[in-house]
Amino acid sequence: MIAEMSGNIHVAAAALGAAIGVGLIGKGAAEAVGRNPGAATKILVQAILSTAFAEGIVFFALFLWNGK
Amino acid sequence: MRWSSLPVALAAATGLQVCGLAADHGAHAEAAAQQGLPSAAPILFHVGPLPVTNSMVLTWVVALILVLAVRLGVGTLRQIPEGAQNFWEWLVEGLYDFLGGIIGPDLVRKTFWFFSALFLFVVTTNWFGLLPGVGTIGWGHPGDHGFHVSEPLLRGANADFNMTFAMALVFFVLWTVWALQANGPVGFLKHLFGAKGGLGGFIGLVLVVVFFAAGLLEVVSILFRPVSLSFRLYGNVFAGENMLESMTHLGGVNWGWLTALPFYFMELLVGLVQALVFMLLTAVFTLLICAHDEEPGEEGSHH
Repeated sequence: MIAEMSGNIHVAAAALGAAIGVGLIGKGAAEAVGRNPGAATKILVQAILSTAFAEGIVFFALFLWNGK
Repeated sequence: MRWSSLPVALAAATGLQVCGLAADHGAHAEAAAQQGLPSAAPILFHVGPLPVTNSMVLTWVVALILVLAVRLGVGTLRQIPEGAQNFWEWLVEGLYDFLGGIIGPDLVRKTFWFFSALFLFVVTTNWFGLLPGVGTIGWGHPGDHGFHVSEPLLRGANADFNMTFAMALVFFVLWTVWALQANGPVGFLKHLFGAKGGLGGFIGLVLVVVFFAAGLLEVVSILFRPVSLSFRLYGNVFAGENMLESMTHLGGVNWGWLTALPFYFMELLVGLVQALVFMLLTAVFTLLICAHDEEPGEEGSHH
C-alpha cells in the first residue's frame, strides 16, 4: 500500500500540519479573547502573524518543489 | 505631505516588476492547455525588449486609480474635511494608529509611507481582481467546453509571482537601509551575531559561540523572508482565482454563479487578510531589527 503511493504527498503532509497549526492558533486566540476581551486587537495581531507563519509552510511545499 | 510618497512607492514596486523574473514561459504553455488558471501570467505585447503581461496592466490600472482617487479626492486639503477627504483621513489615521500601536511612535513616523502604500495597494489589487470582467475579457479560441479565453486583458496582479516578489524585494532593500540607519553597520552585525544577556567569564565565552551559530540561523531565516512573503501572497491569490474558476465550473452553465457566490465572499476576506498579513509581517520584521536601539542601558533585561 505504501509502495503504491505517489504524487504530491509532501503537499498533503504540509497542508495537514498547517491546518492543525492554524486550528490551534484559532483556539488559543478565541480562548484568550474570552479571558481578556480588552486585548482583542493585540491578540488578533499575534494570531494573524502566527497563522501566516503556519500557512507559509504549505506554500514552500507547493512551490519549492520542482516536480518530476 | 505624507501622501506624496504613495506614487513613489507604487512606482518603485511596478518598476521592479518590469525587470523582475520573467521565467516560467515553458510551464505557461503547458498549463494553458489544461483547464484552470496558468501559473504564470500570459504576455500580451512587448515594449521594446520588455514583455508586458496582463497582470502588469492591472497593476498600472490599480496604481492609476489609487493615485487619482487620492489626488481628486484630496486635491486641496481643507481644515474641515468634506467628501472623500473624510474617507481618506479615516483610513490614514486608522492605519497610522494601528501601526503605531504595534511598532511604536518613532518607527511608524519613519516607515508609515511604505507600509500604508503597501497595504492599500495590495488590498486594492486583490479586490479589483474579483471584479467581473477581470480574467474573462480578452483573446482566446473556441474549445471543447465553449470559448476559452487564454489571454485575458486583465489578471489579478498578485496572481503573478513577479509582482509579489518585486514588493518583497523592495521591502528587503528598505529593511536593510532602516536596520543600518537604526543600528549602524557595527550595531547591525552585533544585533545579529552578538551575545545577549551580559554573562561574563567562561560561560560568556561558550555563549559567544552559541550566539554566533544562532546568528547564522537568523541570517538564513532573514534571507528566506522575501521568498516566504512573496509565496504567501501569490499562493493565496492564485489559489483563490483557481478556486473561483473551479466552483463556477461545478455549477454548470445555469448555476455557476450560485456555487461561486460564497467563495467570492471568502475571497473578499482573504484579500483583506493577506494585505494585512503582508503589512504586519513587514512591519514586525522592521521592528525586530530596529527595536534594539530604543532601550539602551537595559543590560540583561531584554531578549
